Amino acid sequence: MAHLNQQTLLVFATIIFASAVFLHLTRKNTSAVRLYMVQSSAIAALLILSSFDRFSPLLIVAIVATVAVKIFIAPYFFYGLIRRHQLKFSVNTYLNTPVSLMVIAALLVLTRSDFFSALAVLATSGDKMLRLAFATVLISLFLAINRKGALSQMIGILSLENGIVAFALFAGLEQSPGLQLGITFNILIWVIIATVFASMIFRKFGSLDVTAMKKLKG
Amino acid sequence: MILLILIAAPLLAALASLAVRKKILVLEIIAMIVAPVEFVAAATIATQVYRQGRSEYGVYLAAGALETVVLITVALVGLAATFYSIGYLREEVRKQIIGFSRVRQFFILFHFFLMAMFFAVITVSPIMMWIAIEATTLSTAFLISFYNKASSMEAAWKYLIINSIGLLLGFFGTLLFLTPGNDAGVDKFVDWRSLVESGGSMNPTLAKVAFIFVLIGYGTKVGLAPMHTWLPDAHSKAPSPISALLSGSLLNVAMLAILKYKIVADAAIPTSFSRSLMIYFGVVTITIPAFIIIVQKNYKRLFAYSSIEHMGIVTLGIGFGGLGTFAALLHMIYHSLAKSVLFFSAGNILLKYGSTKMQKVRGVLSVMPVTGVLLLIGFLAITGMPPFGLFLTEIYILSAGIADHLPVVIGVLLLLLLVFAGFLRHIVGMTLSSYKAPDTTPIACGESGYLTVIPPILLLSLLIVAGFYLPAPIKSLLDSAASLING
Repeated sequence: MAHLNQQTLLVFATIIFASAVFLHLTRKNTSAVRLYMVQSSAIAALLILSSFDRFSPLLIVAIVATVAVKIFIAPYFFYGLIRRHQLKFSVNTYLNTPVSLMVIAALLVLTRSDFFSALAVLATSGDKMLRLAFATVLISLFLAINRKGALSQMIGILSLENGIVAFALFAGLEQSPGLQLGITFNILIWVIIATVFASMIFRKFGSLDVTAMKKLKG
Repeated sequence: MILLILIAAPLLAALASLAVRKKILVLEIIAMIVAPVEFVAAATIATQVYRQGRSEYGVYLAAGALETVVLITVALVGLAATFYSIGYLREEVRKQIIGFSRVRQFFILFHFFLMAMFFAVITVSPIMMWIAIEATTLSTAFLISFYNKASSMEAAWKYLIINSIGLLLGFFGTLLFLTPGNDAGVDKFVDWRSLVESGGSMNPTLAKVAFIFVLIGYGTKVGLAPMHTWLPDAHSKAPSPISALLSGSLLNVAMLAILKYKIVADAAIPTSFSRSLMIYFGVVTITIPAFIIIVQKNYKRLFAYSSIEHMGIVTLGIGFGGLGTFAALLHMIYHSLAKSVLFFSAGNILLKYGSTKMQKVRGVLSVMPVTGVLLLIGFLAITGMPPFGLFLTEIYILSAGIADHLPVVIGVLLLLLLVFAGFLRHIVGMTLSSYKAPDTTPIACGESGYLTVIPPILLLSLLIVAGFYLPAPIKSLLDSAASLING
């Protein structure tokens, strides 16, 4: 990635980070899926750019698979879920929007802490991008924890995965195409299983609100 | 080649089960053929590792002493769980709780689950290990929601989400360990060996951050507190043979991942860092279940909380180091055997009484004498009573920490007494109190079938024998594995 224009990389890093922040703000499920698609598109673009200096047919297959799973298949499953159960709006969050934004701000400060500054040594293309990717990891983690809706939790987890992929790319930790394919295949299976479960939960509880599930205590 | 068989056998069994269209008997025969094959393969690998130090297939699969210790528990519990599953599911089919399609689904996922665990243990790639452990989550999610009840659905969702988040954090830690500063290199096939060899050149602070992520990430799968919240739900809602596999095998596989990263981290930073963290997590993981066990009302959850507590003991043993590491590895084996016996007994009780509430289960010893005895002895074993092996390993672990961590040792000792008191109260209530038949549908005395009692009897016998006599090859493997972890 080091050979690429720093401004270009920063734009992609900002898109990935901003998508994670906006995922916290949006209340419409369709908007959340679109934001995930935007974030995934930025990841796909970074993958394509990073492939220029290590071209191989298997790498192309890995990139095509990533694009297919993240930009087309996963959103297709999510839209299907929204359509089938008429889930226009996302279920509420545990923390309200102002408090959530304060937590996001705190997480951003955390990425500048001395402890996590050690991660900056990994930067092959400027530590700004690396910090943005790490912030995406933390913010996405918070998204998955803070949301009460099953669909939002799923998108939070996939956004977390995008953040980790972005971090790996900015740190120059691209994996071999074979492993990339394995990871993508794993994500595909995860999306399918999680969507099936979300559907089953809706049928059982009449909602995707995970706080409605109170059978197990103690 | 034998390593390949270990993965190919369950995969072929899953595919063959997928092709079965009508007869449950065919599914059972497939399982009965494959389980011994897997066990023999694991035993052969153990023999190879004992004689040659390592078993390899190409550059992608290998097992050393540490992997073999875990492999033995997976294969052993897998073998017992296979035969127990047949008896357990037969009874559920007879009671019309499930039908052919459910049995088929069970066996397909069961074989995939075993394959994923075997692969996680013997792959030489940290990334492939992550993929395999994630695959265990995906293959077991539908087994946890097997009965399609609201509570099992809730347990499965919690399991899927919490473990996925945990494993992604583990993945992040894994990537940090593969840094460019590491001579293992980027964009190359990185195996555990090269990772350890190049660990010395890793940035120390980065190694600390990476190990924290790995410990929290894979620790979620191990059930380390406070990331343990999914475990009691998942382990209690799954069918009993799966509960045994989740507690007796999967926790060990996830612990193996932590141990492997500990070895890498210790190459980059002083061992005191990883040890301190493990002592901290160990103590917290023993403390929380110790108090919950006392007030528990559901016997399957009781056993699940006990699994958390035992993973805490193992973590503490590794944290103490020295003799504690050897004892912790042996503790993993004993725990696998004892917990499988308890979950199989729990399955028998559930089949008979139709409830997991302890209040509704009375007089097990008179209603089901064999299961009652299994439950009583299993309780004594799991709470670390002499002469069982778990007593010795707990004593060894605590003695390893006496010199440097006396307050921790005293605290843990008190917590173990608390666990014993909790178990005693519950198990005595279930087994020794007299059974009073309800007005409607009294319970018929007797066991649910020979296949539901023979596997736990054999495991318990093995546990008792292993408490007195540890074969030289097993001791040698444990020694090698412990010295690898201690560095």
